[in-house]
Amino acid sequence: MNVIRFFYLLGIAISLTLAWIFFPGPRTEAGARAPSTVKWVPSLDDTEEFCQFDHPEWRKAQTIEGVEIEEDPQCKPDNPYLVASVVKGTDRVTMPTLMKTRLAMDAVVKKDDRDGDGDPDVIHIKLEVAELNGSTPDGDFFIPGYRIAPGLTPGIWVFAPKMRGMATVDAVNLDANRMLRAPSPPIRVEQGDTVYLTLENSHYLPHTIHLHGVDHPYTRADGQGNDGVPVTSEKMLMPGQKRTYEIKPRQPGTMLYHCHVQTDKHMLMGLQGMFIVEENRPNNWLQTFNIGAGKVRHRSQANRKQFDQEYDLHYQSLDKERYQPIQAYNDPRLVAKGMNRDYNITDSNENFFLLNGEAFPYTLRDSLVVVEPEQRIRLRVANGHPHTLGLHFHGHKTTAISADGVPLDAPVTRDVHGLAPAQRLDLVLDTHDDGLHSFGEGAWLMHDHAEKSVTSDGLGPGGDIGLVVYRKYLDQNGFPKLQGMDPVPFFNRWFYQKQVPVWARSEEWAIFADAAPLPPNTIRVIISGVFLGLALGLLVALWRHWRKGQ
Amino acid sequence: MKRLQTCLWPILLLPMLAFGGHRMDMDSMVMNENPMTLPEGCQKIAGDQKITVHAGRKHAKKFPGVVFAYDQQSWDVDPCTRLTVHFVNDDDIRHQFMVHGLPEKTYPEGMFTIEVSGPGEETASFILPPYKKTYLVHCDIAQHTEHGMKAQIKVAGGDKDLASLPGLTKPVRPDRYPTVWNTQSVIFLVLALAGGLVLVWGGRWLFKAMSD
Ligand SMILES: [Cu+2]
Ligand SMILES: [Cu+2]
Repeated sequence: MNVIRFFYLLGIAISLTLAWIFFPGPRTEAGARAPSTVKWVPSLDDTEEFCQFDHPEWRKAQTIEGVEIEEDPQCKPDNPYLVASVVKGTDRVTMPTLMKTRLAMDAVVKKDDRDGDGDPDVIHIKLEVAELNGSTPDGDFFIPGYRIAPGLTPGIWVFAPKMRGMATVDAVNLDANRMLRAPSPPIRVEQGDTVYLTLENSHYLPHTIHLHGVDHPYTRADGQGNDGVPVTSEKMLMPGQKRTYEIKPRQPGTMLYHCHVQTDKHMLMGLQGMFIVEENRPNNWLQTFNIGAGKVRHRSQANRKQFDQEYDLHYQSLDKERYQPIQAYNDPRLVAKGMNRDYNITDSNENFFLLNGEAFPYTLRDSLVVVEPEQRIRLRVANGHPHTLGLHFHGHKTTAISADGVPLDAPVTRDVHGLAPAQRLDLVLDTHDDGLHSFGEGAWLMHDHAEKSVTSDGLGPGGDIGLVVYRKYLDQNGFPKLQGMDPVPFFNRWFYQKQVPVWARSEEWAIFADAAPLPPNTIRVIISGVFLGLALGLLVALWRHWRKGQ
Repeated sequence: MKRLQTCLWPILLLPMLAFGGHRMDMDSMVMNENPMTLPEGCQKIAGDQKITVHAGRKHAKKFPGVVFAYDQQSWDVDPCTRLTVHFVNDDDIRHQFMVHGLPEKTYPEGMFTIEVSGPGEETASFILPPYKKTYLVHCDIAQHTEHGMKAQIKVAGGDKDLASLPGLTKPVRPDRYPTVWNTQSVIFLVLALAGGLVLVWGGRWLFKAMSD
């Protein structure tokens, strides 16, 4: 009796094992002829234009309210009205100009020409904190939305100039408005200015500002902490509160400002920006904010004397695991636990790499360095990555003239400049075609040579790839003329989701596109099916046998 | 004559609205203020109602997990009422009282907004339409709505309740918290287990009874 049941069970076990062994696997062998190629045609709905921009007239050189604004011929230049507003002060420009920006009236207030040299010397700057691509209790979407590349919406925190009105474009389009973007904007002040930098913490977590490398006293005039460090200097600034940092920088140079709360999270979430102290000169009206970094459209007096152009280049990276809590939860307690205790930076890797707040191909729209032959251009570079940045220029060897705001005794000319985390270098890009500083005109690549940085979550080309583009390699839309592969796939929202082949867009390249999947091997399907049936039959027989025995 | 007057009012007021509807200074901003123009369907201003709305961190403290809130999450207003909002910001940062879904003919983009730039207050009024409808009120500073600064105005009782109003309504996408078993849940599990056993025995008894 029991022996029979044992044999039934043994039979079932053997049949199931054989069914499992013969069941078709995830991959199937082709016969004499490999499967055909799947043709990928990017749908128009899922593909962006190379250059979508509603204000081409912003590109040309212009004077707004007496403020001279340099030409910026690339696809998406900075808003010239915003440039004029932050140069003159948001309380001094006329209402029509200010209304063409989203700046608050008290965002940048400039007063008191104390040394009588024709420019204001007491500067009040107000910053808020904004979360981009955060979750919402109102549905499965992120708000305010911000894409670093087509289809990529990582969670980011930024310091932003104090704004007015909606965070989104309007009531229908829930993308962040133009001013709310990464990186935290470069701030420019003049050497010797008295600067009141107020942080209005509009975010739901605590933050501070640490003025990294900027000459600042340890305490303010009233004895309160001024260093931004939550342990040594001051308490964390709670949601809904404000704090003013007071500085009077005696030395010029390229510095940083960043949040000093849980720096392995907050600073690397994007709460870091460039802080530039310009040399004191007469009539030195400075562009207090450079939204989105990149080209400085109203330069300092000293810079205009020595150089033909100036650019701010801010490199930073993002970690999927670090920002995951802000996209998974709303409750700040769950976000705090997820970030402070579940996330572990020592076990993790960066996934997205940004130049001026965006990844390739968006860097082609507004982070180009557009040059003419025989220019000298100052590039202020900040490394916000947690790794060493190996900044490489194709076609050029640039010269480092200053590091961390201190002029170098011996300038260094190289094609790879190393920047430690948080380090800044001032580079001179010389476009004289002498075979050393420049190899001539072109659309030359510029990127971190730590190769992961030229990918977006491991998919390339992406990451912080930028270009030094000579003017004649720019089309009338301000987009670089590319002679290589078709850039359409890069602008398709599925490309960086890894849903489509990287090489597919020509007849010739079909050889590298996706092969059609194969149906499972028929013999295996039959054998596996037979054994499954056998197991089932034995099971029924066993059950009947058991019932009879009762 | 009266009808003519009603028709003429909006036309006469248009140029005034273009300038008068918006005001802004260092401390506050008002957009689409409208104390006079009747929204379509209103014959006259049915009445005046004044509310004082406080906004800030401290009003969220009674709701666990909420960071910013108004002191009230829902207001009832009669149709065609002129609502005067006295908006008080109790924080050191910006907050807004922004109404959406108003008729776009009278309110560009369907919005009425008061923004107070820091600690302070501002007052402005607007006229509500005649229909039974619920209007969204929120603060559109990045992540403020999401962290509690959301409310509703119900005209004539409203046509629904909005989701995720602190203390009032459930979110569309609620957070998920860690699960912990307590005595009650263990007792329920044991009882349910016993219930399952009873079901089997009951089923067997029924089966036998039927086959006999
Ligand atoms: Cu922080
Ligand atoms: Cu608010």
